[in-house]
Amino acid sequence: MSDQISFTLDNKTVTAEPGETIWQIAKRCGTTIPHLCHKDEKDYRPDGNCRACMVQIDGERILAASCIRTPTNGMKVTTDGERVEKSRAMVFELLTADMPAREESPDSGADFWLWAESMGISSSRLPKGEAPCQDITNPAIAVNLDACISCGLCVRACREVQVNDVIGMGGRGTFSYPVFDLHDDMGNSTCVTCGECVQACPTGALFEKSLMDDTSTTRIIKEVDKVVDSVCPYCGVGCLTKVSVKDDRIVQIDGRDGPANENRLCVKGRFGYDYAMNPERLIKPLIRRDDAPKSADAYLSHSDIKDVFREATWEEALDKAAGGLKTIHDRESGRSIAGFGSAKGSNEEAYLFQKFIRQGFGTNNVDHCTRLCHASSVAALLEGIGSGAVTAPFMAADDADCMIIIGARPAQNHPVAATYIKRAVKNGTKLVIIDPRRQELMRHADYSLQFKSGTDVALLNAMINTIISEGLTNDAYIAKNVEGFEALKTEISAFTPEEMAPICGIDAQTIREVARLYANSKNSIIYWGMGISQHVHGTDNARALIALALITGQIGRPGTGLHPLRGQNNVQGASDAGLIPMFYPDYQSVGDIEIREGYEKSWDKSLNPEKGLTVVEIIDDILAGGIKGMYVMGENPAMSDPDQNHARAALAKLEHLVVQDIFFTETAWHADVILPASVHAEKLGTYSNTNRQVQIGRPALAPPGEARQDWKIIVDLANRVGLDWQYADVPDVYAEMCTHMASLNNIPWERLEQDGTVTYPAKSLDKPGSEILFGEGFPTSNGKGRIVPTQLIPSDELPDDEYPFILTTGRLLEHWHTGAMTRRSEVLDAIEPEATVGVHPADIDRLGFSAGDMVSVETRRGVISLKSRADRSVTKGMLFIPFCFTEAPANFLTNPKLDPYGKIPEFKVAAARIRPQIADAAE
Amino acid sequence: MTPQAGQKKGFRRNSAFPKGRPLDETAYSEVVGLLDGKSLAKDLLIEHLHILQDEFGCLHARHLRALGEHMRLSQAEVYEVASFYHHFDIVKEADAAPAPVTIRICDSISCSLRGADTIIEATKNAVDPAKVRIVHAPCMGACDHAPAAQIGKRPLFKVTEKSLLDAVETGNLKPDLPDYINLESYLEEGGYALLKKISDGTLTADQIIETLSQSGLRGLGGAGFPAGKKWTFVRSYDGPRMMTINGDEGEPGTFKDRYYLGKDPHRMIEGALIAARAVEAEAVYLYMRDEYPELLEILATEIKSLEKSGIIPADYFILRRGAGAYICGEESAMIESIEGKRGLPRHRPPYIAQVGLFGRPTLNHNVETVYWLRDILEKGAEWFTSQGQKNHPGFRSYSVSGRVKSPGVKLAPAGITLNELVSQYCNGMEDGHSLKGYLPGGASGGILPASLADEPLDFGTLEKHGSFVGSHAVVVLSDKDNIKDAVLNLMRFFEDESCGQCTPCRAGTEKMVQLLQSDNPDLDLVTELGDVMRDASICGLGQAAPNPVSHLFKYFREEL
Repeated sequence: MSDQISFTLDNKTVTAEPGETIWQIAKRCGTTIPHLCHKDEKDYRPDGNCRACMVQIDGERILAASCIRTPTNGMKVTTDGERVEKSRAMVFELLTADMPAREESPDSGADFWLWAESMGISSSRLPKGEAPCQDITNPAIAVNLDACISCGLCVRACREVQVNDVIGMGGRGTFSYPVFDLHDDMGNSTCVTCGECVQACPTGALFEKSLMDDTSTTRIIKEVDKVVDSVCPYCGVGCLTKVSVKDDRIVQIDGRDGPANENRLCVKGRFGYDYAMNPERLIKPLIRRDDAPKSADAYLSHSDIKDVFREATWEEALDKAAGGLKTIHDRESGRSIAGFGSAKGSNEEAYLFQKFIRQGFGTNNVDHCTRLCHASSVAALLEGIGSGAVTAPFMAADDADCMIIIGARPAQNHPVAATYIKRAVKNGTKLVIIDPRRQELMRHADYSLQFKSGTDVALLNAMINTIISEGLTNDAYIAKNVEGFEALKTEISAFTPEEMAPICGIDAQTIREVARLYANSKNSIIYWGMGISQHVHGTDNARALIALALITGQIGRPGTGLHPLRGQNNVQGASDAGLIPMFYPDYQSVGDIEIREGYEKSWDKSLNPEKGLTVVEIIDDILAGGIKGMYVMGENPAMSDPDQNHARAALAKLEHLVVQDIFFTETAWHADVILPASVHAEKLGTYSNTNRQVQIGRPALAPPGEARQDWKIIVDLANRVGLDWQYADVPDVYAEMCTHMASLNNIPWERLEQDGTVTYPAKSLDKPGSEILFGEGFPTSNGKGRIVPTQLIPSDELPDDEYPFILTTGRLLEHWHTGAMTRRSEVLDAIEPEATVGVHPADIDRLGFSAGDMVSVETRRGVISLKSRADRSVTKGMLFIPFCFTEAPANFLTNPKLDPYGKIPEFKVAAARIRPQIADAAE
Repeated sequence: MTPQAGQKKGFRRNSAFPKGRPLDETAYSEVVGLLDGKSLAKDLLIEHLHILQDEFGCLHARHLRALGEHMRLSQAEVYEVASFYHHFDIVKEADAAPAPVTIRICDSISCSLRGADTIIEATKNAVDPAKVRIVHAPCMGACDHAPAAQIGKRPLFKVTEKSLLDAVETGNLKPDLPDYINLESYLEEGGYALLKKISDGTLTADQIIETLSQSGLRGLGGAGFPAGKKWTFVRSYDGPRMMTINGDEGEPGTFKDRYYLGKDPHRMIEGALIAARAVEAEAVYLYMRDEYPELLEILATEIKSLEKSGIIPADYFILRRGAGAYICGEESAMIESIEGKRGLPRHRPPYIAQVGLFGRPTLNHNVETVYWLRDILEKGAEWFTSQGQKNHPGFRSYSVSGRVKSPGVKLAPAGITLNELVSQYCNGMEDGHSLKGYLPGGASGGILPASLADEPLDFGTLEKHGSFVGSHAVVVLSDKDNIKDAVLNLMRFFEDESCGQCTPCRAGTEKMVQLLQSDNPDLDLVTELGDVMRDASICGLGQAAPNPVSHLFKYFREEL
């Protein structure tokens, strides 16, 4: 190639690619030049500031930093010799002078010390300078700037890799040090504790407290027993991890180079692992005491277990668990049995769970929390494009020219996915964020549309109207790939931006500009979250998004597509595995005779042709006297379901409730039998992330006490209700899944073992899976995408004089789902330790109380009391409550009214009122 | 400041607010009001910080938070820039604001020779710290009137403790404007006719470059790069191109740019516009140091007049204000600063001629370099070259200060010797002083002994002595001066002004000061450190910082 560069490196002629640095070439040729400020990892820009990697270039007056210098033709470079070695050694001596001695430094195993040792430097002839003070206000990270060499890797980690923009290099000269925000304490700053800076720091100046002594000054855990390659247990991003274990405890987690994270992690993934080792783990099977009646308004804690339950042997507990379900089944029918599986478990567990319910009890009453998350999105996607999964991974941001994020807060709920979005913006991609609440990501956005809650269809239809009326549609694409366009064209004419503006609260001009931006950009992608799905018109919201993509042809190419951001680590996989009442694995309808007969044959059992009930329907059905026995594995409906007074009453009413979990959850309070199970870090299994990437999680710890592997518990129960299940191990279960699921074609267990991650669908064994789908039509009957026009449906409950606020619920960065895991993580709970309701500061002033005062928030369904938080991101007239706090469960307040298609409740809008609790504060 | 700082994980943040400092609504509306009608482009961060500093006398954390919100910058992005520049005073919630009046007293070499350090201490003790803040400051470009100071924005010359206290009494914090040639007068004497000739094509870029190359005009900021060659380089890269004028005259001992701009600012502006035309620059950015408030005012007024008169379009010639950072005199650091960032010099390659301001090919010149363009083009290359000495074409503006009778800007032939300069242009040494040594090029050029006072002073002539003429800032030292003290003064200056980016300079200058301060410095170690600073620093600051130390060891060893 003509643009290759030929030059001399240490007397040898070497060829370099354009852009390759001398450091990289030297490494490739077998010489690793010392380096501190340069991190040889993806996305870390070399900065050339530490001067540890100096090399000599013939004809140049001074030495050059090899990490940042690229060679030119004919250049003569020398990487060793007295001059460069003297220079490098002096750099290390200068830095060592100001450092604590190695054994007293924060990380004696840091790259800095390893390099210093290799050069024979352990002390310095130079005088010591002033050392800044320690900052240990962050619960996970110690900042010991006496070990800081001002190399700026933490700044690049925070600003360029994660794009959190919290760390800056403050001051100048000798006083150049990394600072948080305006030189604030780390724990009081906007730091999101992703720990990227810790992973990057070459000296340990930023270091995990988990490895340090009590004063967070020096490292005490120097070596670990093993490092396990695994996958993160939290959100749907599916970051790959390295889990370090010492003395049977996880002591550190770092990011691994996975396709969805490229070494990055967030606070949950990096620091939220200790729930696994929490003393409140369930370690013995429990059976409800005969003298402990159930009560809907029970409020229990771990210490109450002995009052309500008694310990039992596994034999007794399994017999009782299975026996109770079998009794109800035999007495009535499968119609009276239901099961909630879990999106947190593995694919294999999800498969076995739905099989257990269907095969064991002849019912399809099996569902999981996807019903509460993206059921409406999936309904609209299956209807519109014949597939419920994303059409492109979130990394498609890299190729996009325009991104729309609507009803999603990825920086909180999919933090690592958000890094791709923020990095794309830095590279020039336009960003539109549509969300009633402000979010930090809006700082990066070209358009931030804070529209009125629940008016998504008005806004989106106005965009569609603009695109059609201004002729911005992709007619060739429509002709080839879309049906229903003419009907849409007719129905959409009424939805002019001018008509919709007062409804959605966004001016017509902005709506038009955003519509044009989306339609005219070469590649546009849409990301959405629960702000779209959790409405009574959630399916319509998603339909409108699908219509946008179809009429503009912004789908099927790199940088385009539809991406509902999936919330839990395996919500995609659990759905794929059939943990839903209308479908067998791979979304095959339970009503389809051919399909059902296939399963009847392989499962050797006659199966129920009726769709089962969904999550909220099951709760209603219990109270209506239908369902009497339930098996709940790793789900927490007593926190996650809407209208908790109602939901908890239902759970308490059950004749027989089996709860299989790792903690004494709110749901377990109402159980008859509790089976102690395993956490993610104790199991082997596969998990499918939001990008359709199937990845392996591997055990790092052994289950505590008598806790057992979930899959084995399901097998034991199955065999106790008369099924004859013989599985040797997890791969054996996976192999059976593969026989039923075309989506797993060409992804045998061995391939997963070897590659660690494979995207489905995969066309062959040796080619990567397809990330971008539907370039050539859709998996629908006629191959076309189907547009379903939508009409305005107001939220079920609108504010009025009595309940003047709009209450919306959601998540926090640190807490996941119902908080069962994250509230039991020391770091995560230290950062967000208590229930709060976000209120706009102006509303706080107007109502005459102060930020931090206790308030009660009430809706027509319930009342909770919690701390007020002054939060400008919450619009005036709005309240925001995270649903993870057991001391103030937001779902006592939420509206259980369902979307008719997805059967998802309207978590995002309820009419509420707020009152300060003045009693205690009164003089 | 840190509640419960000793506990390992006991710290609990206040959950009454989201993470980090809440936005103060009042501060936000103040910021929005002050920036009303102004662009919020990120490169204007330093300009906007000046607006806040000028309005409130400091930068309150609440305003920085609000400024970030308004400009869509994170707090760290605002803080790291604000904390880099010494003219910004950041005040956190728990801290007291600085006193309403600030006096900056120069303690760089020329002022230090005249007792600045004693004056600083004495004045500090004499004022009420609640009312007046005394701050030491680097060179203010008034070395011929040493010791110099500034009260508010008002320059003060030849100060004493008493004169400073008097200045506090009068309360005048604004600069007096020098009697300069304004646009009207400049036009009357034929100003901008040359520019017009270029605009209408009477004079082509090639012709200009030809004359310029013949004249041998070199960059007068210190590097001495041939101007004609620079233009050719910049023109060789595809546009759009930019032009910058470096008015950050910070090299201690240098005050020539201030001198010329205070007399005839349009001569510089016209020169800049001619150069900009020649390289087809999209815009010209003039970076003027904050230490010259009178010039900032003059330039703002005159640029406005030029826009009004239609000679230049609006937003074509843009004035940017420095904020107290010597390093921004380094061209790539200056460009970073114009872009609203910390003034960190960039790595080379690429050179700014290829990748400069906003990533575009950029022609950068020192104020004085373009100041002479009009004369050279009007009077011819020969006019300029003939005014030098043999093998040293052209004249130079020597800023002479220190122990001479008549300090000041001396327009003298290139290649003149120190002895000639002192005797022929400065009326000789000050009474009672005999020449011991001299700084030929400010702090960076090192200190040469009297025995080398007959060396021609020009680019390329002093390098053999480990020295250079740089910005032609000549500071004369006498037998009454202690060279070690002078060297320490220079090293402290470099320590203060190091940007902190690279290890050899950041840590090296600090360690060098510490080593030199000791009674019995390890000379081998100092030399070794100096070698590495010279060899491994990113920019000229760290590379040149050891020069005075080397000269101390080589020429003035007896003073150790």
